[in-house]
Amino acid sequence: MHIELRGISKHFGEVAANADVNLEIKAGEVLALLGENGAGKSTLMKILYGFYQGDSGEIVIDGTTVEIDTPRTAMALGIGMVFQQFNLIPALSVAENLMLAYPKSPWWQSRHRPVWSTVLENLTKLARDIDPSKLVRHLAIGEQQLVELAKVLNLNAQLVILDEPTAVLTPQESERLWALVRQLADSGRSVVLITHKFEDVEACADRVAIMRAGRLVEVADARGKTIDEMVTLMMGQHQVAANPSVKSPQKDIQKLWIKSISAKDRRAAIVDIELQLAPGEILGIAGVAGNGQRLLADAVAGLAVLDNGEVILDGEVVSRLGRQPVNPNRNSKIGYIPEQPLENGVASDLDLTTNLSLHRLVGMPFFPKKQTEQAQAQKLIDEFNVRPSDPTKLAQDLSGGNLQKLVSARELSGMPSLVVACYPSMGLDILSTRAIYEQMFKHAERGACILWISEDLDDLLQYAHRIAVLSHGKITGILPAASADRQTIGLLMTGARKTA
Amino acid sequence: MNGSRVLRAEVFPILASACLFLALGAGFFLLEGHAPVALFLEMVKSAFGDSFAWSETLVKVAPILLCASAVVLPAKLGLVTVGAQGQMNFGAMAGTALVLSMMNGSAWVVLPLMLLTASLGGAFWGAVPGVFKARLGVNETISTLMLNYLALQLVDYVVHGPWKDPSNLGWPASANFPDAAILPTFFGSRVHLGLVIGVVAALILHVLVTYSRWGIALKVMRSNQRVALSAGLNYERNVIIVMAISGLLAGIAGIAETSVMQGRLQAGLAGGYGWSGFLVAWLSGQSFLRIIPMSILVGGLLSSADALQLFAQLPSSSAIILQGMLFVSALVVMNWVKLRGYHA
Repeated sequence: MHIELRGISKHFGEVAANADVNLEIKAGEVLALLGENGAGKSTLMKILYGFYQGDSGEIVIDGTTVEIDTPRTAMALGIGMVFQQFNLIPALSVAENLMLAYPKSPWWQSRHRPVWSTVLENLTKLARDIDPSKLVRHLAIGEQQLVELAKVLNLNAQLVILDEPTAVLTPQESERLWALVRQLADSGRSVVLITHKFEDVEACADRVAIMRAGRLVEVADARGKTIDEMVTLMMGQHQVAANPSVKSPQKDIQKLWIKSISAKDRRAAIVDIELQLAPGEILGIAGVAGNGQRLLADAVAGLAVLDNGEVILDGEVVSRLGRQPVNPNRNSKIGYIPEQPLENGVASDLDLTTNLSLHRLVGMPFFPKKQTEQAQAQKLIDEFNVRPSDPTKLAQDLSGGNLQKLVSARELSGMPSLVVACYPSMGLDILSTRAIYEQMFKHAERGACILWISEDLDDLLQYAHRIAVLSHGKITGILPAASADRQTIGLLMTGARKTA
Repeated sequence: MNGSRVLRAEVFPILASACLFLALGAGFFLLEGHAPVALFLEMVKSAFGDSFAWSETLVKVAPILLCASAVVLPAKLGLVTVGAQGQMNFGAMAGTALVLSMMNGSAWVVLPLMLLTASLGGAFWGAVPGVFKARLGVNETISTLMLNYLALQLVDYVVHGPWKDPSNLGWPASANFPDAAILPTFFGSRVHLGLVIGVVAALILHVLVTYSRWGIALKVMRSNQRVALSAGLNYERNVIIVMAISGLLAGIAGIAETSVMQGRLQAGLAGGYGWSGFLVAWLSGQSFLRIIPMSILVGGLLSSADALQLFAQLPSSSAIILQGMLFVSALVVMNWVKLRGYHA
């Protein structure tokens, strides 16, 4: 199937998500659609999938202009899409989920075993090891994604669109997916891989199309582009700053001691975590999201109920057994960037000035001067490039990336002895990410400890001094970043191996 | 904010609520067979027509205003309390205990001590649900509601039992307060010190919640407790403090009613002021400034009950019915404006 998108434009309010995009998708190729968050990649593909209607432009399939008004039409034309959020029913088995999405199965046959083999055929080809009778909620994220893919293939899709498929996968799962994508292309299907990761491009793409600010800026052979060239194309005229550098930590001094802590709440548990950090040390915590990261961060920051152990910072207990006492001085010692800043990091119905001064609130004069506070807030807003830059705006009016910057601005603006950062670059483009990293590493240079929870292995490997891997609430291994590799970390993420 | 937006956001809802209220009230009067316009005018006259009317209105404003403040302050922390009624009763009872133990004391000693014990009593009755909320997570609306009945029955108990004055010939009430235990009144009317305390308290609280560090802290705690905790703010302690201050204000209202209006402790001393205060707080959008004019309006409505009785032979509870209509009108209009606002 040969698809051409001609002059596609799409506006959301005053924002042009797509502006006059011309893109060709050839049969049997893997096309990586590369771009920053908000570059318009997903919008473009959702127009092709009939999820959105373009304001102008046309879609031509094998020489005929087609009107794709709903995803149903797209599916009938052989276009399938796997979204970042899966559409599976957790309480049903794999086979039942596939059956539900299979149009040719009449309802009275849905429990009829012979139909199952047809429905399961694609899944068996993709992953022999997934048991069709297993409930979806018991599958790993990577496996759920394959079930989604099988659903799309069952619809006889000739074009499969994958939206940021490797964002949620372990390195091993990613590799398996890349191989499957290649396999699909070799069988004559086309695959569009929406991504912002260069490793996806290198691993399996034939061609790469790079988008920036709603426009298609380059289409090229994937092997003909270096990463630096792609970064420049993605970022445009912006000068890409040099990577932040990190000093090696002072050895043999212990500044932060996380002393065999255990904790649990409704959603997660951490068991017997033991970590020691030297002044200036950056310790990365790797792991698939949902393995206890949030609880670990809370526990270290002195916000969780500990069942066991304690956390000692500069010889002082900051988190102890049982419920944590309210500590008005916590903020002067610990900078904490929590996950999901909207829920955990800001008072969303209050203005930016208040949100940026929260960590100083306890020590303020009883009648704080509004102008002084606003001026301080404005300084932080400018320094961290928060948009909108108006300190009287409410936090809830900010986008996810800007909220992330807002919380980072507050937590990294003091002189903390410890920075606990959960996914600090979530929702940020390369430039903002580097800016946040620089601010974070500045504190390490000063001698503060950094506990850095991230899913981005490349960044961890590049900047952290050591990487601890968290799996099912336990540390499965601690590796010096210099000698660590993705394979070992990936294995540890699955909880497979324990190194001393 | 430009002029037309002020008009849309502020003036329009008030006018619309007023129209709806007048329409409902007119319907009520028509059903009772009276000419609405004349009766409304008569009500306004009897509430605000002359200095005596004003003084009787202001007498009702004092407890309403104090009780409204007692609702607004917890609301700043996201708490919904309906306990002013019970706190009035308990505060009055605590103040009466002091008065009964110092029947011959001088006013300079008795009055401050009476106000103090009544305040502490009210504060205690507010702090109890505060502690329940802070330590055990008990819903403060339910617990304050229940404590209302408890306080009411306690007052009933003491005026029927230990504090019952035999000289009342079987009427359940305490002994009459000595002159030294009557709060000062002004201008030869029944307008008493409680009104001054109410206005001053509302103004001070307005300044505190709007401009102080504590006010910012309350906003943060209301908005996001997790963030407040990591900022080192003690939500639990503040719940107790806020509920205690709220109870204190209602306790003063209780002793003022007992001392000036009744002159002795008896059942039903709180009237419906606790509830009126709750309505005023909500009608004013939980603002310490707006509860002042709103209390005067509702106070006027209640004091015009006499006019209804006198001119139209309507029972005085009609004023309570009208108060309910006012509340419903304002709520309907406010929510309508809000809904429209989201679509516009």
